[in-house]
Amino acid sequence: MSHPRARVVIAKTSLDGHWRGINVVAKALRDGGFEVILLGMARDTEIVRAVADEDPDLVGLNIGGRIEVAQRIIDALRESGYTGPVMAGGTIPPYAVKLLEQSGVQCFPPGSSLAEISRAARRLTGFSE
Amino acid sequence: MVAGDGSRSRADASTAHNRDSTTLLTCPDVESDLGGVVASQREKSASNEKIVRDVESEESRKTISGIDLKASYTAEDSKHMTADSAAAPGEPPYLRGAFAGGYRTKPWRIFQLSGFGNPEDEGARIRYLLGKGETGFIMEHDRLTADHLYDVDHPEVESRWEDVGLTGAVQMSARDTALVLQDIDQTRYFAHPGGAVVQHAPFALAAYWTVAKRRGLDLRQLSGTGQSDFFLTYLGCVTKQQIPASTGLKINCDIIEFCADHAPNWVPISIAGYNGADTGLNAYQELGAVFACAIEHLDEMVKRRRLSPAKVAHGLGGMNFRVGMDFMEDIAKLRVARKMWHDLLKDRYRISDKRALKLRIHVVTAGSAMTYREPMNNIVRGTLMALSSMLGGVQSLGVSGYDEALSIPSESAHHMSVRIQQILLHETGLANVVDPLGGSHYLESLSVRLEEEAWRFMDEIENHGGFIATLDSGWLHEKASDNQVALENALLDGSRKVVGVNVHEGDSDPFNVDGFSGVGDAFERAKARLVNLRRERDGRAVAVALGELSAACEQQRNIMPYILDAVMSDVTLGEIGDVFREQFGDWKVPIFF
Repeated sequence: MSHPRARVVIAKTSLDGHWRGINVVAKALRDGGFEVILLGMARDTEIVRAVADEDPDLVGLNIGGRIEVAQRIIDALRESGYTGPVMAGGTIPPYAVKLLEQSGVQCFPPGSSLAEISRAARRLTGFSE
Repeated sequence: MVAGDGSRSRADASTAHNRDSTTLLTCPDVESDLGGVVASQREKSASNEKIVRDVESEESRKTISGIDLKASYTAEDSKHMTADSAAAPGEPPYLRGAFAGGYRTKPWRIFQLSGFGNPEDEGARIRYLLGKGETGFIMEHDRLTADHLYDVDHPEVESRWEDVGLTGAVQMSARDTALVLQDIDQTRYFAHPGGAVVQHAPFALAAYWTVAKRRGLDLRQLSGTGQSDFFLTYLGCVTKQQIPASTGLKINCDIIEFCADHAPNWVPISIAGYNGADTGLNAYQELGAVFACAIEHLDEMVKRRRLSPAKVAHGLGGMNFRVGMDFMEDIAKLRVARKMWHDLLKDRYRISDKRALKLRIHVVTAGSAMTYREPMNNIVRGTLMALSSMLGGVQSLGVSGYDEALSIPSESAHHMSVRIQQILLHETGLANVVDPLGGSHYLESLSVRLEEEAWRFMDEIENHGGFIATLDSGWLHEKASDNQVALENALLDGSRKVVGVNVHEGDSDPFNVDGFSGVGDAFERAKARLVNLRRERDGRAVAVALGELSAACEQQRNIMPYILDAVMSDVTLGEIGDVFREQFGDWKVPIFF
């Protein structure tokens, strides 16, 4: 483990600026002991650069649009050498949840509890409860 | 903070589900971090005293906004309300209704948000809704391009090209808007042509009006509404780039003046507390903030001295509120909104024109109340929220789709949103009598409390420098954020219950709802339209129109005539955006998310 606290980079993949979801998740993770780096609405290249700079233990994507956009970002992250876990939240329809989970991305659609999200984040980063 | 505890797992949740059927009726305070098994043991050994205490738990005594509730209400509780509540509907202060005849003389407008894909797809969905009995129509625009004033070939859009068309059709010129409006008679329907985001409103209005002009119509023949909502633009859905809020106010006032001169049947802007409330503001905060926003517009218009305060007030008096799942509180909110508008205009602006004093209300039922899990349950939620809106006396209503948490509405969800309203209107008998709940001791008492809190919150905003100052500083965002967190925590500790989410949650859903996925070719077809437009239009006319728009912005003239000229000359959305960005600069977003 490279940092005393788990670091998570969180970004919105779409240009839809509804911030309620990302705000409550970021605050819950912060209160749960994570160091949270918020990128806001960010493009593929911006996310890849931030992940390279910040060296996070986890990447969280808020998906307000289509998963193809998120999928392209995840592929770019993998190509850039990021091997850590990726979590996703937002209005992700059930078929898209299945697709993302097949590629190893754990999804938290609306109605997921903050406790569930924090617990998954701790488990995925190996920072114990 | 409950989020860090980690003690409730999915297994606990399903155990909680098992015990609900036997204990929920007597024990409203079931969810706790003890987990289901421990709680079940507790219940088996619980004494009667314990159950009584749970029934009288804290949360059962408050509305969702935190207003204290008694177990029952009597005449004693509502007597100080007599003067206001005794005035008949249609009489000041309009608490009981804006119009004496209510739905007897005029049913509310069925008015659904609609749009996706290509302009032709959006037009087809609008015609489908009108065919089902929708009585006005709304044109959604693609959010990437519209909200940001980008053409579809902007790098921010191209890097997310799959998202294009997801939330509405791409309309970069009046030609695109004409494709949406094919086979729709603009003189027949009340329309909202988009422009919810402040910097987008001038273009959206001008594109709709240009289509009408090209059809040989005069703007006086059109009825409809703009939006230009500050709550969406600067609070709830912050864009990557936006003109400053103070410039937004200037543009809104330009629209108000332009409509007064040229489009008298048009509601120029519509303040939408909905967007504040769905971001977290509670009922009285929504009321207080809406009227603080109206004050900014009224004061600016009074300074301009072109229109009478009564005329301005009438233009501002078509507002948009959110109705959620606190049934009685939201009915009270709509009644109080009418009274506050009347009192504000009369006391502060000395307006006596009855037409101006009557607030007309559009409601959108809360999108955030719609659940992802077991989405068909949302038909019930939509019905209850629509009923609450009806009992609150709205003039116009949109019911969020049952698939709201999954996607934009499918055709089937849209159909249901219209049918819910028609069933309430035609089958329940509730349209026969205006304000059927008027005189309820509980409702009248709740209305008084809500109004007190709303004025207090409005004063608080004014003490912080006014509505725009609280947006610029992030003060209002903090209020919303505090409530967002509190509402999530209430779900975690079970003091707020949502069926299928934190009570009675099942592993499987008997109905398969997968959300609506729209179309896949919106980006490439929009790009092709843009290339054609740039080739076919008169480049010189475009350059002249852009130059004049630029000068009008710089010289602080009313920009609307110049926007209309530009759109008539087939100037694009992105080109107007470039002028705005250069002339007005960028709003500094006070939060980071």
